[in-house]
Amino acid sequence: MNPVAVIGTGQTRHARARDDASQPELVREAAARALDDAGIRPRDIDAVVIANMELFEGRAWPELWVGEAAFAAGKPCLKVATGGTSGTSGCIAGFHQVASGLFDIVLVVGFEKHSEGHTQTGMTLTDPYWDRAVASGAVGNFALSVSQYMAERGVTELQAAQVAVKARRNATRNPHAHLQMPAITVEEVLASRPLAHPLRLLDMCPQSDGACAIVVASGDKARKLNPRPAWVKATATRHEQPYIGDIDRRLITMRTLRDAAREAYASAGIREPLKELDVAEIYEPVSYAELAWYEALGFCAEGEAGRLIEDGVTEMDGELPVNPSGGVLSTNPVGASGVIRVAEAALQIHGRGGDRQVEGARTALATGYGVYAWADVIVLADRP
Amino acid sequence: MTLGSLRRPVFVCGLGETGVVAEDPRSIAEMVLQAVQAAYADAGCTHADVDAVVSASIDLLDGLTASNIAVTEVVDAVMKPETRISADGLAAALHAAAQIAAGSYDTVLVVAHAKASMADYEALTRWALDPIHLQPLGVDFLACAGLQARMLAEDDTGAARRWAEIAATRRREGSSAFSGQCSADEILASPLVAAPLRAGMCAPLGDAACAVVLSVQGRRTPVRLAGLGWDLEAHSLGDRDLSRWDGLARAFGRACGAAGIGTGVPVFDLAEPSCLYPHEEELFRKATGFGGETLISPEGGLFPGTAPVVAGLSRLAAAARRMREGGAKRALAHGAWGPAGQGQAVAVLEAQP
Amino acid sequence: MSEPILVPIEMDQSWRYAATAAMARFCEGLKECRIEALRCEGCGRRYLPPRPVCGNCHLLLRDWVPVRDEGRLAAWTVVHVPILDARSGRTREAPYGMGLIRLDGADTTLNHYVAEHDPSRLAIGLRVRAVWRERLEGAIDDILHFEVLR
Repeated sequence: MNPVAVIGTGQTRHARARDDASQPELVREAAARALDDAGIRPRDIDAVVIANMELFEGRAWPELWVGEAAFAAGKPCLKVATGGTSGTSGCIAGFHQVASGLFDIVLVVGFEKHSEGHTQTGMTLTDPYWDRAVASGAVGNFALSVSQYMAERGVTELQAAQVAVKARRNATRNPHAHLQMPAITVEEVLASRPLAHPLRLLDMCPQSDGACAIVVASGDKARKLNPRPAWVKATATRHEQPYIGDIDRRLITMRTLRDAAREAYASAGIREPLKELDVAEIYEPVSYAELAWYEALGFCAEGEAGRLIEDGVTEMDGELPVNPSGGVLSTNPVGASGVIRVAEAALQIHGRGGDRQVEGARTALATGYGVYAWADVIVLADRP
Repeated sequence: MTLGSLRRPVFVCGLGETGVVAEDPRSIAEMVLQAVQAAYADAGCTHADVDAVVSASIDLLDGLTASNIAVTEVVDAVMKPETRISADGLAAALHAAAQIAAGSYDTVLVVAHAKASMADYEALTRWALDPIHLQPLGVDFLACAGLQARMLAEDDTGAARRWAEIAATRRREGSSAFSGQCSADEILASPLVAAPLRAGMCAPLGDAACAVVLSVQGRRTPVRLAGLGWDLEAHSLGDRDLSRWDGLARAFGRACGAAGIGTGVPVFDLAEPSCLYPHEEELFRKATGFGGETLISPEGGLFPGTAPVVAGLSRLAAAARRMREGGAKRALAHGAWGPAGQGQAVAVLEAQP
Repeated sequence: MSEPILVPIEMDQSWRYAATAAMARFCEGLKECRIEALRCEGCGRRYLPPRPVCGNCHLLLRDWVPVRDEGRLAAWTVVHVPILDARSGRTREAPYGMGLIRLDGADTTLNHYVAEHDPSRLAIGLRVRAVWRERLEGAIDDILHFEVLR
């Protein structure tokens, strides 16, 4: 892909319910901040990509209503929707559109306003002839995969609780994050309400209202606008078979994420991710998933994920800080969550991470997760 | 290299369609499978030659979250990159062209599907309208089309007759069992559906799937996707000049710029617009400036029958097919979505020597 | 600043979904408590639910094979969120067990309810058997749940 970079990011204050803003106002909040961060004006935007899982709000073609809020009226604007990976898909779509030669600057905005939806519409992520009658929802599905993962790889509830604590403690340094739990402890996680064995409330991501935007620019423009652009070194995407029963040992193998990472690392020239990545923003819908992603992403050998969290390797002061933003475990507006991963990875390279800045971050990883096992992997770096 | 042009060439290599029927008894997966297999056969390729897939479908129409999940296996996207553009299928093709031009993939399969028969389509379109100011009024896409048609007919007493004749002509050219034929008089006598639009003036909606293979290599095709453009107008009808399709004019200008077509009226021999109603055809002509030198919808356009989302991609297929037969040198394929064509997309196709 | 206005909108829509030919045959079989999978001629994987194509091999699936209504738990959980059983109109009270069941004769697993909600009595590898409802309608919830064979 031709050289493109992320030169600005913006996000809303994420919360359980943003009753103070309509869906377009949420979009505008993030888009305006991204433009400010990039130092550009609305007229500098050549095209817009919107990412959103519209059925969660019961809508169709949501870009028709919210497009203007993203400065898209009178401009080329398309909407991308691929479940949980909508945000990362949207960012990749923005990268493609700039790299194509058609546009110099593309704005990508992902958003979700779960408080204006109904959880029932989430149930339609099932085949009406197959699992709609027997589905246990996202929590149950994950719990099933976790039972296999624990049995085979030996991760423990305590290790998962440590992931949950790391996420929420990191979030306290992120003014945008939804969940703010400065006093959270593993005991509190282990005592929280059981949802689906072994998952407890604090092992799960919240549902949030929020939006996040990034500004993507082509090589020359990027250099003019940002002293440290976050160059897109690699992107890779993999989709999977459609039923959860097809994806046996999902967390154990996670072939989509594994293969996407293999391709992305190869393109970016990364051979030892733990050493060569400075920061990672990975899409972890439940605490156990983060452990499984450590293995699938090659941060450690199989069976070593628990040791990684116990030894603090992925803490803010560890060798590879994972999710300084607090991750999906702290903030989850589905259509935005993938954009947040890319934005948080990019702003680390920009040096704009504030209290959650990883010192000297030069190479960053962002991943997306969606449906049962769809995966996106993106590598950003301070050099093209 | 001018700003706004594709960095790599993109060719239309394979076409596959189910055609439109009032109600297809098959599943969406099986309809898409048919279209995809036909596109591969037409391109002389297999799934192994395809690097990525771009799907076009609307969750609310399919009654399925992440609706492309129903077709992942039949579009051969397992362990491949797939993305979904949820707008008209032509927009998905334009995005695929951008992916190829970006250097990310060499060959991309574009697929669009919808079954208007599976739900109350017009009622579902209400969920695309501003939920605070418009949706509570029960406004749907048909009503918006009616409002735009009303504005055009207001000082134009001949409009209704003209539109009836356009509709009658398109039905005759298309001669499909689905849409049937009727005279302009019969159309003018048909019931009003959203005044001044009458039932006979509306392209019938049904079920269909369409697949197109785009590639950086020409293979055995003479058709190149030379330029592309798309646009989104303001949402509220009151914010727009409904006497025109300004969004289309902008998209068309971008597409011609991308194709490197010079100033003045570029000569297109053929146009395949997505016009659900005759007044939209007049809007299309106004926005593009096409006159008698351009053959418009020689097979009836959408009037033989169309499916939402599929319409624009099927226009691309129709134009490409005709160009292969030597029927045109430069064509414009068009897709639209949203109330009164709020979203617009066009592709400039050029026959290669 | 004034109070935000909330506009309530109700959605009342219905959809008619067409099943694949394979799923239709499968559902017919359920009326007689018969379960069948489709076997891929490339990789040999026996798929439940049956579907038109093996996504890994890109081959059309044609080879029907019988599947028993019993098998082993490949994964399990106990859910604490009550759920409405659409068939009976009654709530399935929490906690209830769910599992991924590998039926004898199939390679993919079936996500379904398990009639055991004590986590200490659930484990991967336990043998389970389907309990069918009295009235069969040709749908996967003709199986009420799976009982653990002890």
